Amino acid sequence: MSGQYSPKILGFLCNWCCYTAADSAGVGRYQYPPNLRVIRMMCTGRLDPSFPLEGLASGADAIFVGGCHPGECHYIDGNYHALVSAALVHETLARLGVNKERFLIDWASAAEGPNFVKIITRFTKQVAELGPLGVAEGGNPAELREKLRAAAETARGRKVRLGLINASKEMMKGGDFSRQTIAGLVTDKCAKALEALDTGAL
Amino acid sequence: MNNHGQLSSASDMSGAVMVVGGGVAGVQTALDLSGLGYKVYLLEKSGAIGGVMARLDKTFPTNDCSLCILAPKLVEAGRDPNIEILTKSELITLQGEPGRFRATVKKQPRYIDEEVCTGCGQCTLYCLKEIGDGYNENLEHTHAAHIDYAQAVPTSYHIDAKACLRLNYDTCGLCAVACQAKAIRFDDKEVTLEIPVGAVIMAPGFGRISKDIMAKYGWGRFKDVLSAFEHERLMCASGPTKGEILRPSDHQHPKKIAFLQCIGSRDETCGNNYCSSVCCMYAIKQASLAREHDPECEITLFYIDIRTHGKGFDAARERATRDNNFRVIYARPPKVENVLDGGLLLTWATEDGRHHYEKFDMVVLSQGLEAPDDAQDLARATGIDLNEYLFAQTDTYTPLATSRPGVYVIGAFQGPKDIPDSVTQAGGAAALCAGQLSAARGSETVKASFPEERDISSEEPRVGVFVCHCGINIGGVVDVPSVAAYAKDLPGVVYTTDNLYSCSQDTQGLLVETIHKHRLNRLVVAACTPRTHEPLFQATMRDAGLNRSLFEMANIRDQCSWVHMHEPEAATQKAKDAVRMAVAKALHLTALAEQELPVTPSALVIGGGLAGMTAALTIADQGFAVTLVERNTALGGQTLRLTADRHGNEPKKEIARLVARVRHHPRITVHSSAAVTGISGYVGNFTTTVAVEGASEVINHGVAVLAIGGRPYEPSQYLYGSSAKVLTQLDLEKRLAQKRPLPPSTKQVVMIQCVGSRGDDLSYCSRVCCGQALKNGIRLKTLQPDLRITILYRDMRSYGFMEDDYRTARQLGIIFSRYQVDNKPEVTAGRGKSSPVRVSYYDALLADRVEVAADMLVLSVGIVPEGPTVLAKMLKVAVTADHFFLEAHVKLQPVDLAVDGTYVCGLAHSPKSMDETIAQAQAAAGRACQPLAKGTITPAPIVSKVDPELCIGCGACEAFCPYKAIQIYKDGKVRRARTLTASCKGCGVCAARCPTMAIDMGRFTLDGIMAQIHAFAEG
Repeated sequence: MSGQYSPKILGFLCNWCCYTAADSAGVGRYQYPPNLRVIRMMCTGRLDPSFPLEGLASGADAIFVGGCHPGECHYIDGNYHALVSAALVHETLARLGVNKERFLIDWASAAEGPNFVKIITRFTKQVAELGPLGVAEGGNPAELREKLRAAAETARGRKVRLGLINASKEMMKGGDFSRQTIAGLVTDKCAKALEALDTGAL
Repeated sequence: MNNHGQLSSASDMSGAVMVVGGGVAGVQTALDLSGLGYKVYLLEKSGAIGGVMARLDKTFPTNDCSLCILAPKLVEAGRDPNIEILTKSELITLQGEPGRFRATVKKQPRYIDEEVCTGCGQCTLYCLKEIGDGYNENLEHTHAAHIDYAQAVPTSYHIDAKACLRLNYDTCGLCAVACQAKAIRFDDKEVTLEIPVGAVIMAPGFGRISKDIMAKYGWGRFKDVLSAFEHERLMCASGPTKGEILRPSDHQHPKKIAFLQCIGSRDETCGNNYCSSVCCMYAIKQASLAREHDPECEITLFYIDIRTHGKGFDAARERATRDNNFRVIYARPPKVENVLDGGLLLTWATEDGRHHYEKFDMVVLSQGLEAPDDAQDLARATGIDLNEYLFAQTDTYTPLATSRPGVYVIGAFQGPKDIPDSVTQAGGAAALCAGQLSAARGSETVKASFPEERDISSEEPRVGVFVCHCGINIGGVVDVPSVAAYAKDLPGVVYTTDNLYSCSQDTQGLLVETIHKHRLNRLVVAACTPRTHEPLFQATMRDAGLNRSLFEMANIRDQCSWVHMHEPEAATQKAKDAVRMAVAKALHLTALAEQELPVTPSALVIGGGLAGMTAALTIADQGFAVTLVERNTALGGQTLRLTADRHGNEPKKEIARLVARVRHHPRITVHSSAAVTGISGYVGNFTTTVAVEGASEVINHGVAVLAIGGRPYEPSQYLYGSSAKVLTQLDLEKRLAQKRPLPPSTKQVVMIQCVGSRGDDLSYCSRVCCGQALKNGIRLKTLQPDLRITILYRDMRSYGFMEDDYRTARQLGIIFSRYQVDNKPEVTAGRGKSSPVRVSYYDALLADRVEVAADMLVLSVGIVPEGPTVLAKMLKVAVTADHFFLEAHVKLQPVDLAVDGTYVCGLAHSPKSMDETIAQAQAAAGRACQPLAKGTITPAPIVSKVDPELCIGCGACEAFCPYKAIQIYKDGKVRRARTLTASCKGCGVCAARCPTMAIDMGRFTLDGIMAQIHAFAEG
């Protein structure tokens, strides 16, 4: 990837699947671009919706969240809750005019070192093509990061979180864990709380 | 064993076991025994435990650093109060009976007091007498006063009595002057110890192929012919060349290396008719690493057969061969000659009868494994029988029992085998001892104690950072000293250093010392991965009086140096970032209270075949209740379809014996025609629902063993199903048990190996089919000696003593012909329905296709695992791409699954023979009984915590918690949430959903993660 932009990527990996897959990629000596920095969590269910936004606000060009395959979460359904948080992040990015491809949530089981490598290699390439955060978006990077910081704060706020609780409840009740459905639920339940992001209030 | 002995009370039964041999098998069995509640005397002939595995650079198939995965076990054994390590010790006699043995042990003097020696190494520095360094295959020197290797356990030096000038000539004595600790004891004497033990486990390992045999291939005559052990040391960072592969003759990097297989194995001329079972694998490992060291190096491997029959081994070999562009030649070991202008001339004959010669820069001899040199002494001392090759004699159905009751055998002394099989046997033998001595469990053990925890709540953070080289695993890519230097300036850091191996016992001592000296209250280790090494460092923290939650690890090996091998600068930067983030998190770590939870003292075993029944019995014999669930009406499984083993015995007799024992065992409940419909809970507290004939039953158990087995692959190839002349080996077994197995007209039988296996439908080798073909071929030949039998194979994988069958089969006149995967045999139907089928195959020697009319065509089909998916999903355990359960660690935890309290054995793990299945089932039973024997578990204290000030009692946490571990209660008039810490697993969903951020997670706190995010940004 010489000559191309080398992006800064922050990853949140669950201990049981993706972190283990990353380790097993190492054991198998599979090589991938050195752009990812990893924060280990026990489960992607721990992913506070503000973490990815905080990461982007603080200087990351992209965020990766890696968990167990749907239906295979070590804690039963933590990765579905992660999808709810992820939907909020995507929604927020859209509202701020940040390319949604800067945030990826994907899965690799403990046995899938090569799959992890594939995901990270592809994602790194894709983000490298986008270039530095803000530049591709055609705005002022510093201003954008300010907005992202405010969005992270909003994601820690009671209004948005109550919306997420409702979205999560409906997801569990409905039993449809497709990304599209979850995104619909989150957009629906959090729209009002996110309005502040669109206005000049920021 | 006399009746009086059996009937007398348990009061005089010993709760101690002697383990002879401190290699990986011996150490593992010692740890397992300690975990099961027994005192262990671990005897080691040399000055330190570790055995051969400590001398390996890497391990196949993962190329994991050998010492890195072994060292934590050595350290654990060294610090276990119930394991007494007796170095320089040998078992002389064993008297008495099972439960009440009296072992006589001779302990040679170390001449340096183990208790006093600080391991500083001054004695070696001052010692005048140089000796060969055995650890480095004598490719380097050490001194008469020395330590076997840097990470040795015990971390104590000793003096070679044969070499020491003071002991032999009464001169020198410099070491005594240099030793500040005053540990030198020239008057140390040999002592004889009488030790009462209840059982003995023999784990003396293997011996080396004699120098004469090695010399036949130039070793010792030509400098650049190396033994595989020598080559291994050259590859290793702690070896004589610091990890550079250099030709001994000119210290240049060899550009063309030949690996010669079967040196001292499969060789009647040296008496070792058996296959050593490990050399094919280690040669591929060494060849891969030689390429890693020098990507331009050309490598050729000479095989008779490629025997990579272990789980995942074929895939690893194929990948290594492809990625490294290895040249593979099928030939008996070539002749090696020295040529005048340098280099080694190899001459060999290929299977087409042609002769070839070629020059190589270096030759590595893949030497086989022999019985230990002192096998006969050991046999005399313990009164056990040996087989014709001087390995311990065992039986198919009692693979770990020697001929003397109460004396068990594991590892290579039981037969040549690799590390995972040795570790498996270690677990199995521990379980058998625990069963035999169950009345005396805990009678001779003490509880491990730690110093009182220092209260650090009012201290400012004082972080210590230890950066590990991991030999060259990290240090070869990442600039470790610069990472350590970088860490020095990070906020809160008061101490940093770098270590060659952070996990070695001496480093643990150093860690404790450093924590005290610098009053550290947080520890960051930048090394391999927390998944394997966090427990080790956490135990060290407890030794230093610190709460184990004050620990954080930066993963700079598995997720850094190993995956960015060609980008040292980027990897170094990544390592610095990882350390910075770890330190940032460490500043927010707090001491967390430990909790002890009770364990339901019973086991669930799923599957009632050979593996499941053996596991159930081995658990029940240890005194714990077992529920055995079998989906069929009858117990017995697939083994019932085998009509003979390779010694001519009937497996169904053994199965009948097992079924009777299972049915009558007071502690085993059998549910047949039953299915598991749900499993929940965690180690110590599982709840399983079993559907039995329409009703459903709930079972509470502490552990679960999965033995769901496999079944034969169903072929559609080679006219199977459409011609009556085509059958599988199991069909043939059935016929062979009948009165008239063969129609009188049968003249020609053809067998085809690997039907459906090794890249056909199944990607893997099924391990047992070659042995089955040989067995049935010999049975046929015995029945009808003039029968013509042709076996078409890819590689005859008659590993271990099964090679005897291969030789017998050839002697009986069975014809073997190798086929290539791109040129398979072809089968066409005869004219009539009852006419023979025509089999055509390529014959390498004739260089043409030949055709035979087969009156019987037998297909050797592989083994398919029973669908593991449903159970895997219920238990949240991983399965491999081939649908076998994935063990927690392929080398060192071969029967544990990644979820604590769950274990696997039998065909559900991978294809294996009956004796291997039994040993593995016994191992699973042993591992499973550890939590049961302990009675309590101490889960990681990473639970959620609710701040009542912030909680608004909304109940979202309660609604989303998958474990009902958080509850709403009334605090006066207000509703609040609280965590039930015993049920909490620490996933953190509650924290991520709490509307007021009132919930935080132990070790994975909001502040800690935010600090990591912000530290990330500083890079």
